[in-house]
Amino acid sequence: MWKSIIYKEWLKIRWFAIIYAALGILVVGNIFLKVQHDFEFSQEAYYWYSILFNQYRFYEYSLFKFVPLIGALAIALAQYFPETVNKRIKLTFHLPINENKALMVMMLFGAFCLFAIAAVQLLLFTGLSLVYFPAEIVQSALISIAPWFLCGFVVYFLTALIVLEPVWKYRFLYLLVTATFVPLYLQTAAARAYSPALPLLSVFTVLLSVALWFSGYRFRKGEM
Amino acid sequence: MVKISRYILVFTAIVGLSVVLPQFYRMALEKPGRNPLIQYSCIDHDFIIFRPDADDKWTNREGTKLTREAYEKKLPFMYTRQLVMDRTMPDSINGEKINIQHAGIFRSNFRITPDEIHAPKPKLYPLFESQSGRANLEMPNDFFRITWRMEFIDAQTNRILEDKSRMFSAVLYNRGFQFPATSINGIPTTRKSYDEGYLVIDSANQLFHIKMVKGEPFVRQVELPTGMKFKTIQCVDFSDKLYYAYLFTENNELYVLTPYDYMLEKFEVDDINPDAYEIRIYGDYFNFNVITIGNGFIRTQVVDRDHNKVDEYAETRPTYDMRPEGKIGQFLFPAELKMTDDNSSYVNFFLKMSKLYWWLILSLVLIIAQYFIIRQRKKNIRTEIIDLMLIGLTGIFGFIAVNIFPNKFID
Amino acid sequence: MNAIECKNLTHYYGKKLVFENLSFNVKEGSILGLLGKNGTGKTTTINILNGFLQPQSGECLIYGENSQNLSPQNKARIGFLIEGHIQYTFMNIHQIEKFYSKFYPKWDNEPYWHLMSKLQVSPKQKISNMSCGQRSQVALGLILAQDPDLLILDDFSMGLDPGYRRLFIDYLREYAKEKKKTIFTTSHIIQDMERLIDDLLIMDFNRVLAQRSVKSFMQEFKQFHLELENPDIDISNEEFVVNSEKVNNKLELYTYESEEKVLNFLKNNGVVHKNFRQVEMGLEDAFIGLTGKY
Repeated sequence: MWKSIIYKEWLKIRWFAIIYAALGILVVGNIFLKVQHDFEFSQEAYYWYSILFNQYRFYEYSLFKFVPLIGALAIALAQYFPETVNKRIKLTFHLPINENKALMVMMLFGAFCLFAIAAVQLLLFTGLSLVYFPAEIVQSALISIAPWFLCGFVVYFLTALIVLEPVWKYRFLYLLVTATFVPLYLQTAAARAYSPALPLLSVFTVLLSVALWFSGYRFRKGEM
Repeated sequence: MVKISRYILVFTAIVGLSVVLPQFYRMALEKPGRNPLIQYSCIDHDFIIFRPDADDKWTNREGTKLTREAYEKKLPFMYTRQLVMDRTMPDSINGEKINIQHAGIFRSNFRITPDEIHAPKPKLYPLFESQSGRANLEMPNDFFRITWRMEFIDAQTNRILEDKSRMFSAVLYNRGFQFPATSINGIPTTRKSYDEGYLVIDSANQLFHIKMVKGEPFVRQVELPTGMKFKTIQCVDFSDKLYYAYLFTENNELYVLTPYDYMLEKFEVDDINPDAYEIRIYGDYFNFNVITIGNGFIRTQVVDRDHNKVDEYAETRPTYDMRPEGKIGQFLFPAELKMTDDNSSYVNFFLKMSKLYWWLILSLVLIIAQYFIIRQRKKNIRTEIIDLMLIGLTGIFGFIAVNIFPNKFID
Repeated sequence: MNAIECKNLTHYYGKKLVFENLSFNVKEGSILGLLGKNGTGKTTTINILNGFLQPQSGECLIYGENSQNLSPQNKARIGFLIEGHIQYTFMNIHQIEKFYSKFYPKWDNEPYWHLMSKLQVSPKQKISNMSCGQRSQVALGLILAQDPDLLILDDFSMGLDPGYRRLFIDYLREYAKEKKKTIFTTSHIIQDMERLIDDLLIMDFNRVLAQRSVKSFMQEFKQFHLELENPDIDISNEEFVVNSEKVNNKLELYTYESEEKVLNFLKNNGVVHKNFRQVEMGLEDAFIGLTGKY
């Protein structure tokens, strides 16, 4: 039964997931194309120096910051918007399974896809970084991009909440809450500066995973 | 389960709102307040003050107005070029004949802010050749880390240089260095006149001076009084070459490390806390002005060239919290959450609680308002107790949050 | 045994009362049609039954369970056709069969493929690219394959050609009677219902007008036609008159009383009339007679 739910979710998001995965790989490739180019054209030591002491962030190249956010938004919309057309989510709620569990499986599958794509990007990023840079620089870069990936999950969960909400007025209000909360993950910061905030940001991200229960419940109770 | 998701969302909204609402409030109402510049005049032997915002910009300590020219004349080492141009530079001060070039050597500027101390530090540093025989410093091709040993990593190959690493590690080990290093302090730039390597603290709180001379390691331990620990060590590159570094201790004292047999000398100043205050140290031919700037105060302590205290002067001014807009802010908001802080370069959750409890009045009003909303929705008050408590604790943030995520069907 | 028991349902949208203290039952094995003009609460009732709406008070029990918290086992016994034959249109007919088949232990894809074979659709054609009629057949086929004990069909005739409608109804009635299924249905095309339902529940704004078997309703509910001598006489407020329409001196009278009683009343009250006759009605005529044209 759960496999069937996953099958339905996959049918909805597959193209978006594939495009996002491809885009993510291209962006990482692009970053290191630039790194490789800069290594050719300037002295390696100066390149390291500018990363260590001049706050040069090689990984910020090509809007890497917003790639997880856009990918999550696309997947969330692809997954939840079709459920709201003609209130089709009723079909899922009417399946002989617990409604909250059904929503949970939908959410977990979407989050898993995001996670898998992020893992590919991060592995590629880490692997290529280690070719050019020592562990210190790689670690610092990973800490710096971590909040961007967490942000992707937050955007996914909150988009699910907003799309499933049946009342437009509340959708707008949730959007305002999202607009106050998401920037916490996207502050302009020096390399590694996010490290003390990461534990709490991770906790928030995990907690928000159940956000769609709320609007799903409002839907089931006939809020219009 | 739905209840849990609702409280998570309410909590999320409270967090978001406690960042955004006070921020908007400040942006709309906060007024700037610039600190005066307080300096010790070697002519008057007293403080004179420059206030950029005031009508009387230049005054002495008593508040007597000065002209710009009179002010600048009292600070001959600061405005030397202007005084020379005006032909008003004195030949001698305090009975000492002044050679402008010579006096200029003793001028120094130093500034450190808390956000430089509370900042992610690089973990790799370049070790320059101190006696290369070249006029300019050259960037080495490798960077070092001091973990379980001292390792040099070649940037071109991204590999460890084994021989160099072994050589330096062995010398450090023989000098009693306890790996790993806890702080590495130097001036890692080629844009300085000469290199003095790094001052490194090991894991046993011992201080070492490490540099490279003709490709060989130079390691020297600096004797420290027992129990001395540092908040930060700031290497300096002054033209008088009298000091290696300013050292700020855990108990808020200020020392200088001199090249003369690595003697530590204490400045007769107190409450030098680089964790919380911006610190400026201006040195000239006669004195050092040691300025500490904190929230709502500025203090200048003056020591002479032998580091003995000469005089001090402090001013306070109302902080944001004491000004009307700050007080209204504390009435509106029980707390203020920021992701960045003036005293830190890190991103973190900086929570500042309201020091006054006026916001409790607003909380009470909002609880009553919520009570009427609940009545209007014909809900049982008992199912809404937690909402009311949230409003009591988080004031306007909680009130908005529980109404954005209404407790409509959940009992 | 009742498949559905609804007790004292009361619901408002904002301040607008939809119905108050509505109670009705659906016996197992019967086919009940919920009739009413638009806005009288048909969809509201269906939504409450399916647990997509919590009534302000009262409750609906389906096989003894509150419809707000149906257990998965119970939900498996209910086939639900959403108004407009809503389905996952991003799937094709193979994908959607594969999707649903895993949920229902009694899944039997034969009736589904039987219906699909009659549609002119290609195997990879998405449901979103099908016509309304084809989509209705997909939705119906899925419900039949599910083999539920209770079918809840919300406005199944919406958007269907007359042919499809007839097909749908005939197939459904035969299926239900053969397999002893219970059906709760609404439709705004009353003609369709006549061929399908055993019992009816007619709703008007805020109240129930009739709740009985179609057979007894059609027998007892009558329309009389007469021409009044004096067009100013008004008998619409008499107790036995359910509804009346008067154009000049021509009066249409709807009542549950017998011809004899009506004639006696006219005679006893000295209402002079001519051309008195009973008019034969279909279900649609009776519905309009009961609820009025407006």
